[in-house]
Amino acid sequence: MDTLLHYAWLIPLFPLLAFIVIVSFGRQLKEGASLVGIVLTAVSFGIAALIFWERFQGGAADYKFVVDWLQVGDIVINMGYEVNQLNAMMLVIVTLVSLLVQIYSRGYMHGDDRFPVFYQYLALFTFSMLGLVISPNLLQVYIFWELVGVCSFLLVGYYFFKPEAKAAAKKAFIVTRVGDLGLFIGICLLFWWTGSFEYDQIFESVALGRLEPWMVTLAAILIFVGAVGKSGQFPLHTWLPDAMEGPTPVSALIHAATMVAAGVYLVAATYPVFIASETALTVVAYVGGFTAIFAASIGLTQRDIKRVLAYSTVSQLGYMMMALGVAGAAGYVAGSFHLMTHAFFKALLFLGAGSVIHAVHTQDVFEMGGLWKKMPITALTFLIGCLAIAGIFPFAGFWSKEAILGAVYGAHRYDLLVLALVAAFFTAFYMFRLYFLTFTGEARGKHEAHESPSVMTGPLLVLAFLAIVAGFVNTPYAPLLTDWLLASPTGDTIASVFGEGSEHAAAWLQVLALAISFLGILLAYLMYGRKSIPADSIPETLPWLYRLSYRKYYVDELYHYVFVRPLGWLGVFLNAFDKYIIDGLVGLTAKITQGIGALHARVQSGQMQSYGAMVLFGLLLLIVAISLTAQGGGFFGFGH
Amino acid sequence: MTVSITSYLLVALILFCVGLYGALTKRNAVVVLLSIELMLNAVNINLVAFSKYGLYPSVSGQIFTLFSMTVAAAEVALGLAILIAFYRNKATVNVDEMDEMKR
Amino acid sequence: MTGEFVAFFILSLLTIGGAVFMISFTRVVHMVISLGITFISIAGLFVLVGAEFVGVAQVLVYSGAISILMLFGIMLTKHDAYDEGTGRKWKNRFILLFVALVFALLFWGIQNTAWPASPPPAASGVSNAKEIGLVVFTEYVIPFELVSVLLLVALIGAIIMAKKEGDNE
Repeated sequence: MDTLLHYAWLIPLFPLLAFIVIVSFGRQLKEGASLVGIVLTAVSFGIAALIFWERFQGGAADYKFVVDWLQVGDIVINMGYEVNQLNAMMLVIVTLVSLLVQIYSRGYMHGDDRFPVFYQYLALFTFSMLGLVISPNLLQVYIFWELVGVCSFLLVGYYFFKPEAKAAAKKAFIVTRVGDLGLFIGICLLFWWTGSFEYDQIFESVALGRLEPWMVTLAAILIFVGAVGKSGQFPLHTWLPDAMEGPTPVSALIHAATMVAAGVYLVAATYPVFIASETALTVVAYVGGFTAIFAASIGLTQRDIKRVLAYSTVSQLGYMMMALGVAGAAGYVAGSFHLMTHAFFKALLFLGAGSVIHAVHTQDVFEMGGLWKKMPITALTFLIGCLAIAGIFPFAGFWSKEAILGAVYGAHRYDLLVLALVAAFFTAFYMFRLYFLTFTGEARGKHEAHESPSVMTGPLLVLAFLAIVAGFVNTPYAPLLTDWLLASPTGDTIASVFGEGSEHAAAWLQVLALAISFLGILLAYLMYGRKSIPADSIPETLPWLYRLSYRKYYVDELYHYVFVRPLGWLGVFLNAFDKYIIDGLVGLTAKITQGIGALHARVQSGQMQSYGAMVLFGLLLLIVAISLTAQGGGFFGFGH
Repeated sequence: MTVSITSYLLVALILFCVGLYGALTKRNAVVVLLSIELMLNAVNINLVAFSKYGLYPSVSGQIFTLFSMTVAAAEVALGLAILIAFYRNKATVNVDEMDEMKR
Repeated sequence: MTGEFVAFFILSLLTIGGAVFMISFTRVVHMVISLGITFISIAGLFVLVGAEFVGVAQVLVYSGAISILMLFGIMLTKHDAYDEGTGRKWKNRFILLFVALVFALLFWGIQNTAWPASPPPAASGVSNAKEIGLVVFTEYVIPFELVSVLLLVALIGAIIMAKKEGDNE
C-alpha cells in the first residue's frame, strides 16, 4: 500500500485548487465559496487521514520524492515532498482543524461582504501550511514559511478598515520577520557548511560530525529564532495577542492550531541538529519555560476573552518548546504530543469564544455572564476545552501535560519543573476565571444572547470529542504515539544520543500536577464563581504587580521606544536625505545645465554688432591659425 | 619715393578698419550703414590698385569695381528702405533696441 | 618727390581724415558730410591710378546718390541726442582692440608679401571709358545684364519695403 504515499503531494493541492477557484469565481459564488473550500479541504483531510492510518499500521518507510529544480554550479536544489511520522500527524491535524474552521466560518462570517475573500485566504493558508509540513528541504520550508506569514498578515488584517487591525497585521508580519531573518541565516549557514538544504543530508553531516560544535549550535539557535518568531515565544511574542484583531476563526486556525505550531514543528523536524548541541537545547528549553510562565502571568489579568486565549497559546507553546528542549525521547514525544492535543482544545476554545462573541457582540469578559443557560452547547464544549487545557484527567491535556512534566523531571531539570508547575497553576486559574466570568453568574451583557447555529456548534462538538479522546493515544499504559514517533530516523538519532526508551511521569508527579490544577480551578471558583474571595484582593494590595501583568510587563512599550521610534527617526532622516541631498543633486545638475544654457543664451542677444564682432573674432582666429599652420610657410611669408 | 601698390593697399586697409570699427560700434543704424559703405569703398580702392599694379594688371579690376559699386548702391537703397520700415514700427534707429533676433 | 606722390599724399590724407572724422563726429549730418569728402577723395585716387571712368562713376554714385540717400534716411528718422549707452564704453574699447589686431595682422601681411614689380600696362591708345566699354560688352556682358536685373529687383524691393502698411491698393 505504499502507493498511497505517492499521492501525498495532492494534499496541499486541493486547498490550492480551492484558492484558485474562489479567486476566479468568488464574486459569483458568494457564500457558495465556503462549500468549495469545505469540500476540497475535506478531500485533503480524507487523503491525509488515509496516509496517517497507513503509516500508523506500521512498517511503511518514510517516503520522499524530489525533482531537480535549480542547478547552481555543482549544487542541485530540489523541490518535492516527504512523508514521515511527524509529517503524517501534522497533515491530519492541519487538514482536520482547517476543515472544522471552514465549516464553522460558514456560520460565523455569514453576511460578511467579503465572504469569498475570507475563504480564499483560508484556502491559501491551508495550502501553505500543508506545503510547509511536507517539505523535504529547508529551502522549501522557508518558502512556505513566508507564505504562511503572508496569509497570517492577510487574515489578521481582514478587517482592514479598522486601524487596529491594520496595525496588528503589520506588527504580526514585522515581528515574525525578525524571526524569519534568523531562520534564513540559519538555513544559509547550514547550506554553506553541509552543501545541501535537504533534511537527510544535513542530518547526515551533523551526525558524522562534519560540522564544528559551534557551527551546529549557531545553526540550531538561528533556526530556533525563526521558531521563536512564528510561535510567539519571548521576546517575539508581542504580535500574537494583537493578532486577535482578526476574525475568530482565523485565530482558531492560525494562531492556535497551525501556524504557531509551525515553529514547534520546525524544531521537531530539525531535531537531529538540535540534539547535536547541548547549548541549543538548553536555550530552547529555557526560552520555552520562561515564556510559559511569562505569558501565563499576563493572562491572569486580561479582560478580552481572545487575549486570554492568545496568551494561553503563547504559554502552551512555551511548554512545547520546553519539552523539546529538555531532550531525550520523552521530550520529543511530549512536545509533539502536546502539539496535537493543544491544536484540538485550543481550536475548540477559540471557536467557542467566537460563538460567544457572535452572540453577545463584545469581547470583554466583564460584560458577559450567565451564558450557561442561553448557550448550553457552547458552554459545555468550552468547559471541556478548559478542563483539557487545565490538564484534568482524563481529558487530552492531562496526558500531554503529564508527558511534558515527566520529560522535564526525567531530564533532571528541576528549575524548569517548578516553572512548569507554577505555569500550570496559572493556566488552570485564568482559564476557569474566564469560564466563570463568561458563563456563570448574572448576565452583565446588554445583548440578548442565544445559541449559535448548528454549523458553528457542530465543529465545537467534534473538537470537544477530540479534546476528550485524543489523549488516549499516548497514555503511560499504552504509549502508542511514543512508539510510533520514535520508530523514525529521528527517533533513531535520539536513541543513539540519549539512550533507549522514554520516561513517563512517575505517579506522584501526575497526582501533584492534578492537585495543582484543581487548586487553580478552586481559586478561580472562589474568586469569580462564588465570589467568596473578592477579585480585587491582589490589585488592591499589590497594585504594581497587577499593573505589570495587566500591561503585559510593558514589553510593547519597551519595543516601541527602543526599536520603533529610532526606526521612525531613521526613516525621517533617510527621507530628508533622499529629498534634499539626492533630489538636490539631481536638481543641482539640472540647474547647472540650465545655468550654462542661460549663460550661452545671453550670446544670442539679437544685437547685430555683437554678432559681427564675433564673426570678426572668428575670422581672426582662422587667419592666424591658417597662417601658422599652412604648408609652405604660410601666405604671410614665413618661408621667406 | 614712388607710389607703390603697398601704399594704396595701406590706405585701403586703414579705411577698411575704420569702417569696421564704425560698423561694430556705432549706435545709430544709419551710421552703421555709412560705415559699411566705407568698407566697400576700401575694397574698391584695392581692386583698382590691383588693376594697375597687381600680378596681372588689366582692366578687369576696374570693371569689377563698377559692379561692386552697383551692388553697393542697390544695397544702400534696400538697407535704408528696411531701416525706414523698421523705424515706422519701432520708432527708433538705436541698434541696441533692434534685438528681434533674440533667443 | 614726384607730383604723383604729392597728389597721392594729399588725397589719401583727405580720405583717411574724412573717414576718421566721420567716426568721431557726434551729429549724424556732420558724419555724412565728412563721408562725402572721403568719397570724393577716393575718386581722386582712382583718377590718379588711371581709372577715370571709375572715378567719375564714384563721384556720381557715391557722393552723389548714396550720400543723398543717407541724408534722406537721416531726415526721415529721428535721432536722439547722441550719448553713449551704459556698458558701451568697454565694448567699444574691446572692438577697437580687435580692429587694431586685424589691422596689425593685415599690415604685416601686406608688408611681408613680395609684390612683383611688373611694369604697368602699356598705355593703350583708347581712353579709359572706351577700354572698359570694350571689355564689358564682350567678356562681361552677362554679369552686366544680371546687374541690371539686380538693380530692378532692388528698386522694386525697396519700394515694397518702404511702403506704408495697411494701404489698400
